[in-house]
Amino acid sequence: MRSRLKWGLIPASATLVLLLTGCTDQFARGFLPGESGVTNHTDRIVGLWSTAWIVLYAIGLVAWGLMAWALVVYRRRKGESGIPVQLRYNNPIEVLFTVVPLILVIGFFAFTARDMAAIEKPTENPDVTIQVIAKQWSWDFNYVDADVYESGIQAQFDGQEGVPETLPTLYLPVNKSVKIDLSARDVIHSFWVIDFLYKKDMFPGKTNTMYFTPQLEGTYAGKCAELCGEYHSMMLFQVKVVSQAEYDTYLATLAVKGQTGQLDTRYDRNQNLPGDNPENRG
Amino acid sequence: MATITQTRPSSGSGGYNSPQGKKKTKGQILVDWVTTTDHKKIGYLYLITSFIYFLIGGVMALVIRAQLAAPGLDIVQTKEQYNQLFTMHGTIMLLMFATPLFAGFANVLMPIQIGAPDVAFPRLNAIAYWFYFFGSFVAVSGFFTPQGAASFGWFAYAPLSNATFSPGIGGDLWVFGLALAGFGTIMGGVNFITTVITMRAPGMTMFRMPIFTWNTLVTSILIIMCFPPLAAALFALGADRRFDAQIFDPANGGAMLWQHLFWFFGHPEVYIIALPFFGIVSEIFPVFSRKPIFGYKTLVYATIAIAALSMTVWAHHMYVTGSVLLPFFAFTTMLIAVPTGVKIFNWIGTMWRGSITFENPMLWSIGFLTTFIFGGLTGVILASPALDYHLSDSYFVVAHFHYVVFGTVVFAMFAGFFFWWPKMTGKMLNERLGYIQFWMTFFGFHITFLIQHWLGVIGMPRRYATYLPEDGFAWMNLVSSLGSILLALSILPFLWNVYITARSAQKVTLDDPWGYGRSLEWATATPFPRHNFHSIPRIRSESPAFDLHHPDYAAAEAKAAAKK
Repeated sequence: MRSRLKWGLIPASATLVLLLTGCTDQFARGFLPGESGVTNHTDRIVGLWSTAWIVLYAIGLVAWGLMAWALVVYRRRKGESGIPVQLRYNNPIEVLFTVVPLILVIGFFAFTARDMAAIEKPTENPDVTIQVIAKQWSWDFNYVDADVYESGIQAQFDGQEGVPETLPTLYLPVNKSVKIDLSARDVIHSFWVIDFLYKKDMFPGKTNTMYFTPQLEGTYAGKCAELCGEYHSMMLFQVKVVSQAEYDTYLATLAVKGQTGQLDTRYDRNQNLPGDNPENRG
Repeated sequence: MATITQTRPSSGSGGYNSPQGKKKTKGQILVDWVTTTDHKKIGYLYLITSFIYFLIGGVMALVIRAQLAAPGLDIVQTKEQYNQLFTMHGTIMLLMFATPLFAGFANVLMPIQIGAPDVAFPRLNAIAYWFYFFGSFVAVSGFFTPQGAASFGWFAYAPLSNATFSPGIGGDLWVFGLALAGFGTIMGGVNFITTVITMRAPGMTMFRMPIFTWNTLVTSILIIMCFPPLAAALFALGADRRFDAQIFDPANGGAMLWQHLFWFFGHPEVYIIALPFFGIVSEIFPVFSRKPIFGYKTLVYATIAIAALSMTVWAHHMYVTGSVLLPFFAFTTMLIAVPTGVKIFNWIGTMWRGSITFENPMLWSIGFLTTFIFGGLTGVILASPALDYHLSDSYFVVAHFHYVVFGTVVFAMFAGFFFWWPKMTGKMLNERLGYIQFWMTFFGFHITFLIQHWLGVIGMPRRYATYLPEDGFAWMNLVSSLGSILLALSILPFLWNVYITARSAQKVTLDDPWGYGRSLEWATATPFPRHNFHSIPRIRSESPAFDLHHPDYAAAEAKAAAKK
């Protein structure tokens, strides 16, 4: 028995050493994109993700390990005859592997509930309110407070580099609380800024909202994440998180270009929608 | 491995007694197959048809992987064609391959496992198959129309699936074809439930039924609960498309209504295609561990618990819609991990202190278990809305459900093929070719899909026809595409195996060529007689064939039980 234990310990400790020494930044984030503090929610998500994986890997190693153990140790040897003990039940063990997962699940749910409530919590009086309206196959950005807008067209590319600079871009001021109203003009789309680790669907005839505070200046890739027709994969955008001064300058250039007012529901393709769009809701 | 040559007295079956007189003409054989009401033949029809769809869906997957091998490729002419490919790949694999594959295995085996001569409604059984046959053909036939097949994804979200955004006859064919095939599935479910409830042999109590039969019963109950809503939803969508019915008009909440109806079907559907295959491996682990299934009743209760929970979790596909009660669906979804874990540990418990050999059925079942455990872990991650916000509709999800569904359906399908091939055809598939196929499938699968978890995590959305070089998805996609080639090639040893086995393998004469079979199909002749049994052994435990062939162990167990 003791020698068997030793053989089990060697790979286990080797894995552990690898895990502990290989702790690069990427690894610590569980390979999630972005870096620490992109928005006020991302660290919370990374924390839950990493913890969940540590526990799940432990469970997985137990399951795989027991399986591998059984396959090796209880293999039928050459020349072996006869039949092993016909064991059918072992109640204590079965209770154990029902109750332990149940406890783990309840724990996981508790942390999930805490984090999801925090992420979904509406911000009272956000500093910036933006309306993003999806359309086949691009985005309209209405800067509600400044009453200016930007209208995007779908990405054009043939496999060459340099496309991101040409994409429609949403500007956000850093360290200001943001509320984004999401809706769509035709079919369902989904607003996903990858490094924000968050997406939300955009429906025709219904407004969804997301709340967050961008905390790191930079340029972030955004994509449509719900199948919306032929050019779904061309429905790309960027988010630029900039200083308040740059943000104001950008809004001023939109005004100079004459893009004042809002691109409202008049441009929807589903013209028979009643008043759930914020425009008509009053 | 020595078990195959083991001899023992035959269990009172006098060989295959089909009329051996005149050779049938090709026309007679065709009419025989088309008009058959024999549950085994209908089962073979299901198995053959669904396997052909598996190959067709697989070829589509290869084109999809070729298109994604590098950024900006134009392997398919238009992105519309790409959308048709993944739409039909999903539709075919779920509804024309996995679901009827269940009907195939259940048809062939379940009546024999309960000691019945046929199913309760043989002619309903036949019409169910032909509904599936023609319904599937109608849905796929969109490829022969000018605008091509349906392209709105296999879950056909409104309003993208309406006639405005997806014009073309392909969408209509998809809707009505699936509705027709769906009725076939419902009839099959009704038939299986009735058969299990009413046609069990004397002594075959519910708690002596093999796990596969239990899972067939539970799966059929799921079918009659969740396929009718799908049928209703499909007819409503068809009415929208053809008659301007406006049922799924977003103006009256139709977009969310469709999602609820679809996933109320769609999530249990995942278990409809998983549970029977759990059943298959639950038959195989005991035979090759030479032990009874560990925790038989626990396993049955776990199956029932999974089925019950699976009806309550549909909205976990809709976390990011912002319109569902997240805590409820998150909790029920996470709870499914508990009975699933129980199953996994019961399978391991079956092997524990066993005497394990690694013939192909066992090897494929181990492949299933290895793969499925990981699919289960990622499933727990996805159950958490806080994490799903990022992962939803990304390649992480694609990777997760391929681990779960491919891991379950395909690995267990081959396990089942190798296991029951001698009973179905009278010949053993070649073991060596099976090993080659297994390792190609195993590595091909994991190379293709493991990397897709990372792809999803770093931000690749599913259903993207192409991506930017700057996205950094290129090398991972290339790895995945290369893996898919190996995976596709792995089918060749199997096809070759089927061919040479039919041509030149020795006939199996033993009732139980594996030596340690437990359920009733191992207590009747090989291949099966027309009405399944010449005589039925005494059924005094959940392992009647084992008791018959190893009477000393049965007697010892009975004595031990009496002492208690």
